[in-house]
Amino acid sequence: MRSLSHPGSLVALAILALVVGGFATLVLAGGEKPALLAIGPYLVRVLIFSTVQAALSSLLSLVFGAALALALARRRFPGRNLVVSALGLTMVMPTIVAVFAVLAVYGRSGWLAAGLHGIGIPVEISIFGYPGILIAHVFLNAPFVARIMLDALNTVPAEQWRLAQTLGFSPAQILRHLDWPALRGEVPGLAGLVFLVCFKSFAIVLALGGGPARATLEVAIYEALKIDLDFGRAAWLAFIQTALCLALTLALNWAIARPPAAQTVRALAVRPDRTDRGLLAWDSLVLVLGLLFLAPPFLSVLAGLAHVAAVLDADFARAFATSIVIAALAALMACLMALALGGAARRFRLAARMPRLAALYDALPNTLLAVPPFALTAGLFLAIRPFVDPATAGYILLPLINGLGALPFAYRFIGPRIMIAGERYGRLSASLGLRGLDRLKIMDWPILARPLGAAFALAMALSFGDFGVVALFGGTELQTLPYLLYERLGAYRLEEASSIGLLIVLVSFVLALLSGRLSHAAD
Amino acid sequence: MLLIDRCRLTWPDFRAEYTLAVETGALCAVVGPSGGGKTTLLHMIAGFEQPESGALTLDGRSLLPLPPARRPVAIVFQDHNLFPHLTAAQNVALGLRPSLRLTDAERTAVAEALDAVELDGLEARKPGEMSGGQRQRVALARALVSHRPLILLDEPFSSLDPGLRRGMIGLVDALRRRRRITVVMTIHTPEDVMEVADQMAFVADGSVIASGPPGRVLRQYDDPRIGAFCGTG
Repeated sequence: MRSLSHPGSLVALAILALVVGGFATLVLAGGEKPALLAIGPYLVRVLIFSTVQAALSSLLSLVFGAALALALARRRFPGRNLVVSALGLTMVMPTIVAVFAVLAVYGRSGWLAAGLHGIGIPVEISIFGYPGILIAHVFLNAPFVARIMLDALNTVPAEQWRLAQTLGFSPAQILRHLDWPALRGEVPGLAGLVFLVCFKSFAIVLALGGGPARATLEVAIYEALKIDLDFGRAAWLAFIQTALCLALTLALNWAIARPPAAQTVRALAVRPDRTDRGLLAWDSLVLVLGLLFLAPPFLSVLAGLAHVAAVLDADFARAFATSIVIAALAALMACLMALALGGAARRFRLAARMPRLAALYDALPNTLLAVPPFALTAGLFLAIRPFVDPATAGYILLPLINGLGALPFAYRFIGPRIMIAGERYGRLSASLGLRGLDRLKIMDWPILARPLGAAFALAMALSFGDFGVVALFGGTELQTLPYLLYERLGAYRLEEASSIGLLIVLVSFVLALLSGRLSHAAD
Repeated sequence: MLLIDRCRLTWPDFRAEYTLAVETGALCAVVGPSGGGKTTLLHMIAGFEQPESGALTLDGRSLLPLPPARRPVAIVFQDHNLFPHLTAAQNVALGLRPSLRLTDAERTAVAEALDAVELDGLEARKPGEMSGGQRQRVALARALVSHRPLILLDEPFSSLDPGLRRGMIGLVDALRRRRRITVVMTIHTPEDVMEVADQMAFVADGSVIASGPPGRVLRQYDDPRIGAFCGTG
């Protein structure tokens, strides 16, 4: 009988127990009413809004991202590498900072309104509702889409570019035979991921939705918990969101499960469509539009540099320290959980030859993307409330929930590398009798050290800028930097908000850059 | 005749200067150590690399002003010769018409080319459904269908097992004799060179250090690099 005991199994069980226990507590706290019928019309409205805004955001992000990726793949210009690096960084741009940036540029008294007023066009701009939500979602997601698609375009083997040259492909034929096949594999996964992110969007919809009429399920859960204290409604909404997102996540796993892209063996060949004049004009237009859309929000955050001195007070120091501690704890938890789950997956796949069980461990981190953090947090809070005061509960739950939220991303760095270490050196280590710490030190650590660093830095970046669960616990006793930014925005202290946003972005970007450096050096 | 006269290429870390003559209809085996410049030589003939100086002509016509698509040259690489989303027949048809809108005569030509490489019946298969040898045959069929007088084969069979490799080299030899095509092919094993090549060009350190009938090059030259290639150095 093969043993199923492994620390990773305990971690998996603990995660499942937390999720099930959290939801069960919420349901029990909701009292007697099976409230689904009572919230029917409201639920339908929320579902329609969530779906429509997510679909529109995904479509716009994909189209804009693909156009940007193709333009960047075809063109070389000074600063291109900087642009490409910046594209990847929007992945860790905290949503609350994006909210500020969109308001600063497109808001009623933003740069656009001021500019139009300056040239004699006094237009009343209101971006609350669909415009603001779509702008913010596209601002955050289109660069990410462009970056992933650019990477995909770069996997076209050099030999095929040379064939295209030899065969005299036109730009349209290059798009058909080289670019599209490279992009096609990314589209389902990217579309699903962006849809999922936008479907679950919280801070952006809360701040830019313009009122309760426009709420995603995540915002509806927050309102049920924080404003109406209706735990039963929150539980129903959470179940529905979990079911929908789980289905989408499973579909996403299926869409992403494809053979790895062919790697080119030499430096990239010259793209023959680079000299086409029509494409040059089109690419220039795309790049200029991209710059006009993406640069101002970035610059609005940078403008906060002028007021940094004004925000460096005791409140800021406390919030900064709190954010760092919570982010570090969340990252540590995410990495430890990823290590344990990856170790279990390796053991079941390689030693026990139980690939289906191993696949379950691999899938567990991604399924957490489907779990609504507010409902889970509220359930866990209700469960531990008899034992700890609310402020302490925040300090316990924030790292835990942020750690669970970062786990899917940490696992992507760590899981595959653990498997590689086992595949390459597992038999050799077994034959040499390496076990326990020796095995970890000699076999795993050299392969895992950098991915672990990359995972830790990224998980910390994601947690540091997170404005999610802290919206439930935030107050005078527990303040993180994103919460402080939200407070300043609410009080229309925009200059201070810009400075806080800048500092959040700087820390997140530095951590993300560190993560990128470490992950690129992993091989 | 293919004539390469002091074609010079320079990179920060590598310099090459090639001089070589290959008779029309001959099979010239390009051999030499890794990193010596064999692929660069083929890429220069195909037009992927442009020499700073020198002359490159085929039957008296200079190839240097021509972009790769206009050169009378077809090329087969070691990997990634086929587009994975197209069938074998479509991949071959690209050699005739990149738009894939074929006339009846062109469809017949595609079928004949596949027949010539012994792949009739596999027209509808995609590369993922074919073996490595079959994929290289499709690439060879595409090179044949374009009726270009010079075919460059850049280590096309080195990933195949020895039996299959010899079979493919034999096929290339038979086809070029039947169609009187000039072939320049990188080959790794001296036995293969001796078996099929009319001529051998030994490339090392960015230049053709010896050229002529394979037996003469392999036996007569007293260069340690050739000795190392033959296993006698």
